[in-house]
Amino acid sequence: MRKEDTVKLISAEGFEFVVHKDAAMVSQTIRNMLTSPGGFAETQHGEVTFPEISTTILEKICKYFYWNLQFASGKETEFQIEPELTLELMMAANYLHT
Amino acid sequence: MESQLVRLCIEAACQSRESVEKWRRQRRSLERLPSPLADALLRCLLSRRLLFPSLLEVFKRSVEKVDLRGEHSVDGEWMAYIGAFRYLRSLNIADCHRISSSALWSIAGMTTLQELDISRCMKVNDAGIRHIVTISTLEKLCISETGLSADGVTLLSSLRNLSVLDLGGLPVTDKALSSLRVLTKLQYLDLWGSKISDKGASIFLDFPKLSFLNVAWTDVRKLPNLSSLECLNMSNCTIASILEGDGAKATLRKLLVSGAALLGDAETLIFIETSLLTYLDISNSSLHRFGFLPCMKALEYLDLSSSMIGDDSVEEIACIGANLRYLNLSKTRIGSTGVEILAGHVPNLEILLLSHTSVDDAAISYISMMPSLKDIDLSNTHIKGIVHQVDPEMDPALSLTSLQCLMGLERLNLEQTLVRDSVLYSICSFKELTHLSLRSDSLTDMSLYYLSSLPKLRNLSLKDAVLTNQGLDSFKPPTTLRMMDLRGCWLLPKDAIVTFCRSHPQIEVTHEYVPLFPSDHIGSKRPYPSRLTLKTSRVNEVGKVPISPFFIDQRLKYSREELLALQNWSSVSFDAPHDSDILAPNMQ
Repeated sequence: MRKEDTVKLISAEGFEFVVHKDAAMVSQTIRNMLTSPGGFAETQHGEVTFPEISTTILEKICKYFYWNLQFASGKETEFQIEPELTLELMMAANYLHT
Repeated sequence: MESQLVRLCIEAACQSRESVEKWRRQRRSLERLPSPLADALLRCLLSRRLLFPSLLEVFKRSVEKVDLRGEHSVDGEWMAYIGAFRYLRSLNIADCHRISSSALWSIAGMTTLQELDISRCMKVNDAGIRHIVTISTLEKLCISETGLSADGVTLLSSLRNLSVLDLGGLPVTDKALSSLRVLTKLQYLDLWGSKISDKGASIFLDFPKLSFLNVAWTDVRKLPNLSSLECLNMSNCTIASILEGDGAKATLRKLLVSGAALLGDAETLIFIETSLLTYLDISNSSLHRFGFLPCMKALEYLDLSSSMIGDDSVEEIACIGANLRYLNLSKTRIGSTGVEILAGHVPNLEILLLSHTSVDDAAISYISMMPSLKDIDLSNTHIKGIVHQVDPEMDPALSLTSLQCLMGLERLNLEQTLVRDSVLYSICSFKELTHLSLRSDSLTDMSLYYLSSLPKLRNLSLKDAVLTNQGLDSFKPPTTLRMMDLRGCWLLPKDAIVTFCRSHPQIEVTHEYVPLFPSDHIGSKRPYPSRLTLKTSRVNEVGKVPISPFFIDQRLKYSREELLALQNWSSVSFDAPHDSDILAPNMQ
């Protein structure tokens, strides 16, 4: 995976998740950050920090990105969400428009 | 609206009582929950029957909108929790019959509430209104069919911010209405069935912003000119004049005078600017001249059912046909000649209702010249589905075939017509048809065979048909089929229907042998035992009322010999219809 094809997502605790750009773009919010012509810092460094999203939730979000890509390409599996994560994940998903 | 992951999260959160227990202690997260998410979560919990009063507490800092319409369990305890909702903007507890005046005490003095609907909470009376008038922020209040008296209505005058007020079915008198004069922000006022008379009608002039007014079923005969009015309902009134008076004519968009007795011709009674009128309901009215129609060029919705209109007045509809989307001519003297006049003049017509008229197969080719049609009702007409050719040597032509050119046709109703099995062959090529209704005792298993090839059929109603268990067994329903109404198909034995339901769980079948409440998947997880007992008691009632009236009719139509013949023809496992009254209603 080439570096320019990836994007680094950083959680509130500072954990870094390197994901494929296509996967990250499942989030409309991240897509806007990466593609907007205004020259966000995020666009240049390929890094996005989420001070509001904990590591556990961000990890789940990344898993969802990949699941969503697979789902879109016709692979119908279920995306498991533990009930204790639902509230925080819901808010993160709402923020990320995903 | 909601993104996919949000929806998955809400689903997961409302999976079961156990999953609710997993998140309901996460206080910090719950307090941060944005209100649209909290509202959606609350809605889902309610629809899954997982909501109970003490769970409401977790939403007190997030939810802005609560809709508990028709929930029988909602009572004072629920209201006590809802009263503590810090940001509540809208509360709908219409049809919650356990709500009493004292239950409303909990929401007295709320500072954020703008919308409140307690329609048909019959236990709420004037004492309850005293709690409501303490909520000075209210802008929308619906209290129709509650236990309020005219005195209670006068108390509402302190709610100065009201713009929507529904007082339907309340004994509002002219005097009570006069005390509401101060509500100058009113835009929407519903007073159907009240005791308002012509004297009270002059009070409407004090509401400068009034755009919606409903005075159906009242003694109002003369309505003064209200130039701000856009929508008026005077159904079932005796009308002497509408909006007559000085000043600019009201530019009405919607007028309903269904069932009204007009004391003269419409032109001389109705004083409105007709060029913007889009919705007109004059069904059941006493009008017999329709010369006013040609000026209503913007009409999209026109209901003339049960009126005196006949083929001689259709010309008047044709000249305003350009924008029409809905046209109801049911129970009129319209015949095929009338339909012929309309053809070619209604390019945008989507819904055409001709039920209980004298139209026959000649009309069908004209109907097929109305290109936008989506929904056609031809029930209770003389339609046969075949036209006999001039030359008696030639085979008769199938008239319904010409409807094939209606590319958007989704619904077709041919109940109580003379259509027979062989004619349905011409329907099976209707690509977009989703709803089909048939009802005739001359239809048999052949119909099912033809209809199985309709690619998008979702609702099929095949009432009173002589279907057998072999026919049902060999029926291959279209994959899209979700509802099937087989009421009155008396020849079908119970086990044939049960087998069909089992092998096609996605199809909801209606028949005398199918209980009203089939299987209850989440029964064991119900939080409210009261609801469960209510349901079981209803199922028991079904047992007591075993046969519907027309089921008996069916049997009376045949002699004993005919019935026996049919019985042999059907199957060996035939359940005689009269057995149904001892059948247990449970069928899991």
